[in-house]
Amino acid sequence: MLVASTSAVAILFIFVFIVKDALPFFQLRGVREFFASASWYPSAGPPSFGALAILVGSGLVTLGSIAVAGPFGIAAAVCLSDILPFRVRQWVKPMIELLAAIPSVAFGFFALVVVAPLLQSHGGTILMAAWWMISGPVGVVLVIVLGSVASSMLPERFGRLGLIAACAAIAILIVPFIVRAGYWLGRIEVHSGTNALNVSIILGLMALPTVVSVSEDALQSVGRELREGAYALGATRFETLTRVVIPAARSGIAAALILGVMRAIGETMVVWMASGNAAQIPKPWYNLLDPVRTLTATIAGDMGEADHVTGSARYHVLFAMALVLLAISFLFNLISEHVLSRGSSRSTS
Amino acid sequence: MLDRLFTGLGISSIVLMAVALLVLLAPIVVRGVGAFVFRGTVEHRKVLAKEFGRGKPEQLSLDVKRAVEARRPVYNMISRFENDLETRGFAAKRKYAAALDELKDVLASLLGPEPNTPQPPLLREQYGHTRWDRAQVELDELLLRSEYDFSDPTVMGRQVKVPRAKDFEGTELVELFPYVEQHLSEMLLPRWTFYWGFLLDDSRDAHFFGGIWPELLGTFYLTLGAILCALPLGVISAIYIVEYARADSRVVRLIRTCISTLAGVPSIVFGLFGLAFFINALSVSQSKSVLAGALTLALLILPLVIRSAEEALRAVPKAYKEAAYSLGAGKWRTICAVSLPAAMPGILTGVVISMGRAAGETAPIIFTAAVSVGGALTLWDTFAEPTPALPWNIYNLCTEHQAADEIRHVQYGMVLTLVALVLVLNSLAIALRARMSQRLRS
Repeated sequence: MLVASTSAVAILFIFVFIVKDALPFFQLRGVREFFASASWYPSAGPPSFGALAILVGSGLVTLGSIAVAGPFGIAAAVCLSDILPFRVRQWVKPMIELLAAIPSVAFGFFALVVVAPLLQSHGGTILMAAWWMISGPVGVVLVIVLGSVASSMLPERFGRLGLIAACAAIAILIVPFIVRAGYWLGRIEVHSGTNALNVSIILGLMALPTVVSVSEDALQSVGRELREGAYALGATRFETLTRVVIPAARSGIAAALILGVMRAIGETMVVWMASGNAAQIPKPWYNLLDPVRTLTATIAGDMGEADHVTGSARYHVLFAMALVLLAISFLFNLISEHVLSRGSSRSTS
Repeated sequence: MLDRLFTGLGISSIVLMAVALLVLLAPIVVRGVGAFVFRGTVEHRKVLAKEFGRGKPEQLSLDVKRAVEARRPVYNMISRFENDLETRGFAAKRKYAAALDELKDVLASLLGPEPNTPQPPLLREQYGHTRWDRAQVELDELLLRSEYDFSDPTVMGRQVKVPRAKDFEGTELVELFPYVEQHLSEMLLPRWTFYWGFLLDDSRDAHFFGGIWPELLGTFYLTLGAILCALPLGVISAIYIVEYARADSRVVRLIRTCISTLAGVPSIVFGLFGLAFFINALSVSQSKSVLAGALTLALLILPLVIRSAEEALRAVPKAYKEAAYSLGAGKWRTICAVSLPAAMPGILTGVVISMGRAAGETAPIIFTAAVSVGGALTLWDTFAEPTPALPWNIYNLCTEHQAADEIRHVQYGMVLTLVALVLVLNSLAIALRARMSQRLRS
């Protein structure tokens, strides 16, 4: 039993030692500067340790990565659990596990050596291509959905002609906007290939397996009875999925998203190599084409210089950042467990 | 119809993931193989013979003679030009001095130092280009010089390539350039080589020559050390959770929360903890060492090992245990003789997956075990000495190396080795699991 408690002892020790070395920083420099000031100049004289830009950087890349991993991950999980035949699943699941097993430094290498030069020389073209790839199918879906909604409001006698006319009308409204947005994106000049967009895409790719596997577990655990009940009532597959299965699994899906966030926020190598490492808040804050710096990259990068002056604010501020990371991951862990337990208690009651 | 669109959306996201995996792995595999299989020049064979004592000496001396013969006209042209300049006086010398120096530098990096001149101190300057593809890039550098064209006032200087022959227009040296272009393959004698030594040779002169053996060995030590520390702790913890504790007791719930918290801690925080606890507080070693790194990595993979061991132990059918009890075995005896062997495949799967994880992690070893330059360690050294490791050196070579562009093939080779290692381990685990589930079903 003593041995079994090593994990508890380990996590306790981790907290104790990180806090022990982080407190001197807050005693030396106070709390306000760290969280509110955006000027990070630890080697200037006098040094300033404002980590706001770095916190914003971490938040920005996490947001970006969830924007990539969330929709794709949930869609893939739904596809895996309900739509694909069993034999295809046997192949897709190992592929997802392989994606999860690739070391983060390989992702970082790919981001630095392949994606960054591509973004820098052909950034606008890539953005335009990505926009077309996403807005194409989504646009088609939107046109058909809105067209069918619009035509259902027309009187009955128009029938099929009315559907086509409604779709065409919606298309005329939407398509110019899509085309103009595509051309505007195509003309963007990317100044630096190592930026928040690069990192967001790669981090999204890394968080994708986590989101997919946890969501798929949640969707599987909904059980056949609910699905069969919906089908028995005459629902189509789309209606079953959107109105029965996904809402029933929503706590699991929320937990999956939180786990994806945890993976993205704690990632070091990719952001260290490919985020540009500029401790500044992008102007405007959502400009993903600017280089940013994250907490993890600062800890990894600055420790080399800080180690020579152990005991100074420079050394301890890195532990303060580690404390922030630890607190965030602990908080998200608790939230995800709470969400999962609430979901499971609701399904059993 | 909406139904089918929805299906299409789901399938397209899976296809996108597959494409992303392919796009990620394709360049790594293709260019990584280029670190092993490439057209190596006579310089490469010279390095292998002199630094690592490999190759056929007679064939090599024949090759060297042929190469020297092919290069002689080049050096003759240059020395003739220099003598000519001497006779023409200072004005002529000044006009061509800078261009000539540049030309000689490029030639030296392409072909190596001129014969019968003193050996340069740096190893990388003692040989020409060892790879034919890099030699081609250097040939471009020889033939074309890059210049900035400021004539267009709307743009801040455009980079243009100017033929270097223009610098020597009107002199004899102009013929050097077409000669080198046509006869480079005779000067360097490229041949397809399979450099298996990439995995087994030490690196020389900051990875300019040689292989990645110290990094491979370091990764091996770290992974083995991590799993040696984590396996006993993990298995015993799992045995306690499954066999001894009452299910759903507070202790078990607390341990589970701790395990999941430990699993969620960012890897860089593990690295800082390793520095603060193992090195500064406990002083397991004076400064960085493989021991501290292995202990830190063990903490990182502990949750994985516990989870997979727990799953494996729970999957042991109750019938086995009840049969053992009915034969009069005690609890501990049952565990050792029945449960553990039955759960061994599952535990092994977990071990293999954890090894793959530990091999690929960089952040925990940055502060605790990894150095950029170092030799292969012996087993005794690992308790006190740091080591190069594959993940850390990949980062180092990409970002902090003086000539990162020159050694791209080494970077790709390292990444391929690491990814191949991890994927092989994971495929092993998947195969193990598939065989286990087959056996359970039958």
